[in-house]
Amino acid sequence: MQYITESPGSEHRTSTGLDNRKLLMWAFLGSDSMFFGPLIATHLIYRTQSLVGPTEDIFDITITTISTFVLLMSSLAMVLALAGIQQGKIGQFRFWTAVTALLGMVFIGFQMFEFTEFALEGLTPRSSLFGSTLLVLTGFHGAHVTVGIIWLWSLFFASFKGKVRQETSLDVEIAGLYWHFVDIVWIVIFGVIYLVGAFGVQDRILEHAGVLAGG
Amino acid sequence: MAHEEHADHHPSPRRYVQIAVILTIITALEVVVFLIESLDSALMTGLILLLSFSKFILVVGYYMHLKFDNWRFSAFFFFPFFIMISILVAMLALFSVLTR
Repeated sequence: MQYITESPGSEHRTSTGLDNRKLLMWAFLGSDSMFFGPLIATHLIYRTQSLVGPTEDIFDITITTISTFVLLMSSLAMVLALAGIQQGKIGQFRFWTAVTALLGMVFIGFQMFEFTEFALEGLTPRSSLFGSTLLVLTGFHGAHVTVGIIWLWSLFFASFKGKVRQETSLDVEIAGLYWHFVDIVWIVIFGVIYLVGAFGVQDRILEHAGVLAGG
Repeated sequence: MAHEEHADHHPSPRRYVQIAVILTIITALEVVVFLIESLDSALMTGLILLLSFSKFILVVGYYMHLKFDNWRFSAFFFFPFFIMISILVAMLALFSVLTR
């Protein structure tokens, strides 16, 4: 019986027929989801327990929707970068990888803007349970995005040294898995925390957005 | 070449763009549902969770290629994911968030 097989697209042998690095990344993503799950649960539990300070009514859904769109488009750019390197089109890979990383940086910019607005409104990690649980959750997500951006730029620059090629496209695929995971975590945060969490205060959010737009 | 055969299982760039359009439409729908103040709380929550889940499945299935990859990759992700959901629901039930 043949136990040792060659995994597709890799240069090493595995006992499963699957690439060990890709399997490890999936295991990591599974464990990372267990990291974010309790953070989300903690926020949902404590968001209504704050006695002082602002809560959901300071969310700016317009800004958050735009930043969500930016992150979704970065996922599209990521798969186009992967498609490029898998077809041996290094120029296409470089272009879409740079677009992905830049969109990730735009997302982080939106998050910094949001955190600054929160702080100006009096919502900080120390101000209330709502603030601490929300900022820890979204802050850790932002840290994940930042790691992804560094990873993508390192792949981008490595491609100029010939280290990213069609034969090593699995490196890009693994980075892509991480990037898409960051995207799906935000999909959950946007839906559960920003939209469902803010149910009942839509009028105050719209009013708040009007105040911001007005100056 | 084995690698090219593997890559052939992945969707085409055209399909990737189609998925992105669908994701954008679903996101817009989420915001529309959120802005309808007359909606019942439970209905609104259910609709947004359903829409978010649809986006999650599309990204995991098509962009992360789980729909096309070996089932063991799915198992490695969804088993801990199921544990995470169980912990999340248990915590929310323990603190009576679900019945609040």
